[in-house]
Amino acid sequence: MNKKYKFVVGVALMTAAIAYLIVAAVRTTSEYYLTVNEAQQRRTELAGQMVRVAGRVAPGNITWDAASLTLAFSIVQPPQATQTGVQKVAINDVAPASFRVIARGQPKPDMFAVGRDVIVEGRLGADGTIEARQVLTSCPSKYSPEKTS
Amino acid sequence: MPLIGPFALAFALLLAFYSVLANVIGARRRLSALVVSGRHALWAMSAMITVAIVVLWSSLLHSDFTLHYVASYSSLTLPPIYKFTALWGGQQGSLLLWTWLLSVFSSIVAWQNRRRNPEITPYALAVLAVLAIFFLGMLNFVTRPFDLVARVPGDGQDLNPLLQNYWMAIHPPSLYTGYVSASVPFAFGAAALITGKLDDSWIRTTRRWAIFSWFFLTLGNLFGARWAYEVLGWGGYWAWDPVENAAFMPWLVMTAYLHSVMIQERKDMLKVWNLALIGLAFELTLFGTFLTRSGVISSVHSFTQSGLGPYFLTFLAIVASAYTALLVGRLKMLRTPAEFESYLSREAAFLFNNLVLVGIAFAVFWGTIFPVISEAVRGVKITVGPPFFDKVNGPLALLLIFLMGVGPLIAWRRSTARNLLRTFAAPLLIGLGTGLCVALAGLHQWYVLTAFSLAAFVLGTILAEFRHGVTARRHLVGESSARAMVNLVAKNNRRYGGYVIHLGVVLAFVGIVASSFFRLEVKRSVRQGDSIDVGPYELVYLGTRSSMDPHVESLQARIEVMRDGRPLAVMLPAKLFYARQQQPATVVALRSTPLHDLYVVFAGVDEATGQATFQVFLTPLVFWLWAGGLIMALGTVIVMWPNVRERAAIAAVVRAGDEAALEAQMAPGGE
Repeated sequence: MNKKYKFVVGVALMTAAIAYLIVAAVRTTSEYYLTVNEAQQRRTELAGQMVRVAGRVAPGNITWDAASLTLAFSIVQPPQATQTGVQKVAINDVAPASFRVIARGQPKPDMFAVGRDVIVEGRLGADGTIEARQVLTSCPSKYSPEKTS
Repeated sequence: MPLIGPFALAFALLLAFYSVLANVIGARRRLSALVVSGRHALWAMSAMITVAIVVLWSSLLHSDFTLHYVASYSSLTLPPIYKFTALWGGQQGSLLLWTWLLSVFSSIVAWQNRRRNPEITPYALAVLAVLAIFFLGMLNFVTRPFDLVARVPGDGQDLNPLLQNYWMAIHPPSLYTGYVSASVPFAFGAAALITGKLDDSWIRTTRRWAIFSWFFLTLGNLFGARWAYEVLGWGGYWAWDPVENAAFMPWLVMTAYLHSVMIQERKDMLKVWNLALIGLAFELTLFGTFLTRSGVISSVHSFTQSGLGPYFLTFLAIVASAYTALLVGRLKMLRTPAEFESYLSREAAFLFNNLVLVGIAFAVFWGTIFPVISEAVRGVKITVGPPFFDKVNGPLALLLIFLMGVGPLIAWRRSTARNLLRTFAAPLLIGLGTGLCVALAGLHQWYVLTAFSLAAFVLGTILAEFRHGVTARRHLVGESSARAMVNLVAKNNRRYGGYVIHLGVVLAFVGIVASSFFRLEVKRSVRQGDSIDVGPYELVYLGTRSSMDPHVESLQARIEVMRDGRPLAVMLPAKLFYARQQQPATVVALRSTPLHDLYVVFAGVDEATGQATFQVFLTPLVFWLWAGGLIMALGTVIVMWPNVRERAAIAAVVRAGDEAALEAQMAPGGE
C-alpha cells in the first residue's frame, strides 16, 4: 500500500508538471483567431496585438514587389451563403469591413489569388493594417490537398 | 465498366453485415460452421471492395470523365503515375483506399487466426466488420466514389499541383496503412474485453500488427515531413498544423502502447492501461480523419466542410463509449497483484515514458482543438500556434530522450546504487563530455546543451549495450566481432532492433534541435551574374530558362554554388505554372550534406528590372532527421523479422489456448 501511494504521488507530480507546461504555454502563445467582421468589431481593443484573421482576398490594389518580397492586399469578409443560396447583403453597413495586409520578407504563396480564402497572422496596427508574419492560403470549394487524410 | 463499382460496394456492405452476425452468433452459440461462414463473408467482402478499387483505378487511368471523381481530380495531360495516385487525391477515393486496406488487413487476420485463438477471433473479426460497415456506409450513401457527372466534360480539372509529387505517391498510403492496421490490435483488445479472455494472448497475437502499424505511422509522418520540406518551400518540415498533428497523435500513443505491453508481458502489470492505450490509439486515427474532413479546425491544407464530420464524430463517440463501457465493466477482472517496487526500476522508467508520450499526445490534442474549446467556453476563437507546441513538447522531449537512455538498461524491480553506477557511468561521462565540447564550441542555449548531452548519453548507452553483447558472445561462443554483432542482432532481434530504433530517434532528435535553433535564412534580389553569400557558400545567379509543355510551364533559375572560390554544383530552383488549375507551384533546389542542407527557393523575376529574388536557407544537421527516420524504419524491420524462438513460444500459447477452448466447448452449458 505504501509503495502504491509512493507511485501515485510520482504520477500525480508528472501529470501536474505536464498540465503546468500546457497552461503556461497557452498563456504566452495564444492569439485571437477572428473573421474580418469580428476583427472589425474589436479593432480598437486589438490594436498592437498579434492576431489571426481569416478573410478573402479582395480584388484590386494588390501589389507584389519581388525585389523586396513585399506583398500588399486587402481582405474582406467572405459573403455567407444563406440557406436559399442567395448571398446576404448587409444593407446597413456603410463601408464593408476590410483590412489592409502587408506581408514582408516571404515569397508570394503559390496559391495566392483574388477570391482565395486566406488566414493572415500578424500584428494589427492602429490604422487597421495588419503587418503579416504569415499568409496562409487555402484552396476554395474543394476538398483538397490533404496530406493526411 | 464504372457501373460495376456501386454494385460491388453495395454487396460488400451486405457481406459486412452478414459477417458481423455470423461471427457473433456463431461464437455465442458455438456453431463453428457459422463462424467459418462469417470468415468467408469477410473474404468475399474484401474481394468486392477490391473490385471497386480496381474499377476506380482503371477509370482514372482511362480518363473516364463520366465519373465525377475522375473529372474532379484528373485530366488528360496528367502523367500516368499521378492518375494512379489521384485515387487518394480526393475524399471519396481516399476513403475507398482506407476501406480497401481495412478489408485486406481483416482478411489476413482472419487467415492467420483461422485455427488460432478460437475464442476471441470471431469477436475481433466482428469488430473489424463493424468498422467496415461504417466506411462502406459512407461510400454507399454519403460520399460516393462512383457518382456520374451530368454533362461529361472534355477534360478533367486536374490533380492539385501540390499533390503532383512523388512523396504524395507514397506518403498517404503509408499513413493510411499505419492508421488502418491499428484497427487490428484494437479489434483484438475489444474482443478480449467482450469475451473476458483477458490474458495477454490478444497482445501477443497482434504484437506484429502493432509494430507494423507503428512502422507505417513512422514512415507516414516522415514522408509527410519530407514532402512539406521539399514541396512547400518554406525551408521547414513541420508546422504543427492540425493535419500534421492528426498523424502525429496516433504515433505517440502507439509508441507508448508498444512500450507498456512489454511490462505486461514481463510483469503482468498495466493491463487496463494497455487496453486503454490501444483504444485511444485507434480512436485517434478516427479523430484524425474527422479533423481533416470536418472543417471544424482550419488548416493550411484547407478542408472545406465535406459533410463527413458529423458522421465521423458520431461513430467516434459510439466506438469510444462502447469501448470505455467494456473496459469499465471488466475492471475487476483486470486487477493484478503485481505492483511497482522502486522508482529506480525498468518498470518505473517505462511508466514515466508512457506518461510523457501520452502527455505530449494530450498537449498536441489540446493545442489542436484549442480554437474550438475557447470558442465554446469564452465565445471567441483563440488559437495557439507552433510556439505553443514547441514550448510544451520541447522539455517533454528532453525527458523522453533521457528515459530512452535509462529504460532499456536499468534493472527490473529495483536497482542498487552500485549497479546504476556500473551501468551508467560511462554513458554519463560521454554525455557530460559532449555537453562540455558543445559549450566550448560556443553554443550556450540551455536547451541545445541539454539536448546534445542527452543525445550523447543515449548513444553511449546503446553503444555500451552492443559492446557488452558482442564481448559476451566473443568470450562464450568464440566468434569474431563482426560475426558476434550479426548473431547478437539476429538472435535477439526484438531487443537489438529496439536499440537500432532508439539510435534513429536520437539522430532524428539531434537533426530537429539543430535545424530548429540554427537555421540561417537569406533573402536577396540579384541581377544576372551577381552573387549571394550564405554561410560558407557563394551563390551566383546565372540566369533563367523557360520551358513549356501542355501540362505545365516552367521558369527555371540557374545558380552556381561556389565554396572558397571553387564551383561545387549548379542548382536549379524553378517556378511552375499548371495550365489546367491556373496555379503556380514552387520547385525547391536542395543540396543536402550530412553537415547542412542548402535550400534555394526562386521567388520570381521582376520583369521591369530583370532582378531575380531568392530565398535561401542553410539548415544544419537536418540530414540526420531523415537518416534517423530511415534508421528507425530499419530497426522496426529488424524487430518484425520472424524469430524462431518467438514462434515456438506463440505456438505453445496457441496450443494452450486451443486446449482451453476445447475444454470450454466440452463443458456443458457454455459461457
